Amino acid sequence: MELISPGIGLIFWMTLSFGLVLIILRRFAWKPILSTIRERELYIASSIRESKRIQRELAELDSTKEKLLLQAKDKAEEVIHHAKKEGEEIIRKAQQQAREEATKIIDAAKNSINAERKAAEREIRQQIVNLTVDMAKQLLEEEFSDENRKNQYVERLLEGIQLN
Amino acid sequence: MRDKGSSGNNPFGVYRFLFFGLAIALVVSVFGENVHASAAPNDEQKERPELDAGKVIIDHVLDAYDWHLADYGDIHISIPLPVILMYEGKWYFFFSHKFHHGKYAYKGFRIASEGTKKGKIIRVLDDGVTPDPNASFLLDISITKNVLSIIIASFLLCWLLITVAKSYTHCGPHRAPRGISAFLEPLILFVRDDIVRSAIPEQHVNKFMPYLLSLFFFIFFNNLLGLIPFFPGGANVTGSISVTLTLALFTFVTLHFFANREYWKHIFNTPGVPVWLKLPIPLMPLIELVGVFVKPIVLTLRLFANITAGHMIILGFVSLIFVAGSSSILMGYALSPLTIIFIIFMNFIELLVAFIQAFVFTFFSAIFFGMAVPDEHH
Repeated sequence: MELISPGIGLIFWMTLSFGLVLIILRRFAWKPILSTIRERELYIASSIRESKRIQRELAELDSTKEKLLLQAKDKAEEVIHHAKKEGEEIIRKAQQQAREEATKIIDAAKNSINAERKAAEREIRQQIVNLTVDMAKQLLEEEFSDENRKNQYVERLLEGIQLN
Repeated sequence: MRDKGSSGNNPFGVYRFLFFGLAIALVVSVFGENVHASAAPNDEQKERPELDAGKVIIDHVLDAYDWHLADYGDIHISIPLPVILMYEGKWYFFFSHKFHHGKYAYKGFRIASEGTKKGKIIRVLDDGVTPDPNASFLLDISITKNVLSIIIASFLLCWLLITVAKSYTHCGPHRAPRGISAFLEPLILFVRDDIVRSAIPEQHVNKFMPYLLSLFFFIFFNNLLGLIPFFPGGANVTGSISVTLTLALFTFVTLHFFANREYWKHIFNTPGVPVWLKLPIPLMPLIELVGVFVKPIVLTLRLFANITAGHMIILGFVSLIFVAGSSSILMGYALSPLTIIFIIFMNFIELLVAFIQAFVFTFFSAIFFGMAVPDEHH
């Protein structure tokens, strides 16, 4: 019976203590705790939303990046192709030019060699003529230094003339 | 959508719990009496003082005017507690050791050893034994063991939760809780989300939240303190019917303070019920009105019976060692390992019960609040 008969004293103190606990906890515990938890939840929710948005944006960026990369690749290939072609053209032109130039130089060289040769030939000929004349002159002078012989010669010449 | 279904089922639930509550209370009291009765006949057979297990158990789950710590032979070590009485307009204030553990009267007061007021302070005649037959009303607001335990628990609870609140305001919302807050936050969230929000419509949640959170932690904390066998734990606070009654009355008052028009309409003019159930004999309103008062009674009994039963079972196992030991010391030693295993097991069960009962009390309070603020458009 004692067990299930409530006592006034205990009810009184219990009401007082629990009432005070309620007031104190309401003001000093639950208010800050609940508001902080709430704030954190909102923060987490907004963070998740934000991260979702960023993810989406990143995915978009990724696809544009991919596209840009492809474009760039295409362009680069095109540029390389173009450059190759141009380079080949330049090389081809240069080779042709060089060849032409070379032919020209060779021709010129040939001409000048020919001219030199002719000049040399002419000079050699002249030299030979001069030498011959000199030698003939010396020979003649040798021949005709002796008066007899000169006369003989003149006679022989004269004889020749007569014969004719 | 919630109101139709839940309020339709609830009366049944309420009666079922009332039934269980009463059944448990009955079993508990019978169990207590049985131990008392079976232990008594052995008294004469031995010269050593026989252990009266029933008395020990009942004394431990009851409130007391002093906080009993230990016995050594005939020496009782206990903390005397203040006795505050008002009798015939006069206040009396003294410490309970003046009663010498109930053996003597002091200033015409004494702790009754028998009768309907057993264990409470009564006015006695000049011989110091006979209860005063024409005693007038005696107001007894002594700081008993349970009161002291409630005060200590309240201080501890406030200190704990304010510390947690400070760490929250200190760390701000952008950091995960740490330490004791990390331990308590799941409980707070559990109460908020699984108890309050699941039972009360969203727009009314905020006005009930602090009360229900405090209620949960108060009950849980006191349940846990009750499981500690030493001072300042060990008092059977939540297993005291005065305490559970007060808690239930708090819920009752809060409920009717916030109850809206729809709630009263549900009681006095229940919608969706044939008219002949209301007129000329107001059968439904009567049943509903009974339901209003049954709710706090159910809350009172359930918590009281569960916690008291738990305390009694553990004490019963402890007593078992001494009951066996009084027939032969060896038997007591032999039985103790088994008993200790059972006590440990029961303590774990009681830990669970401590949580479950705090949850159930809070959850039913929340459900009653949810019923008190139904949507106006129904």
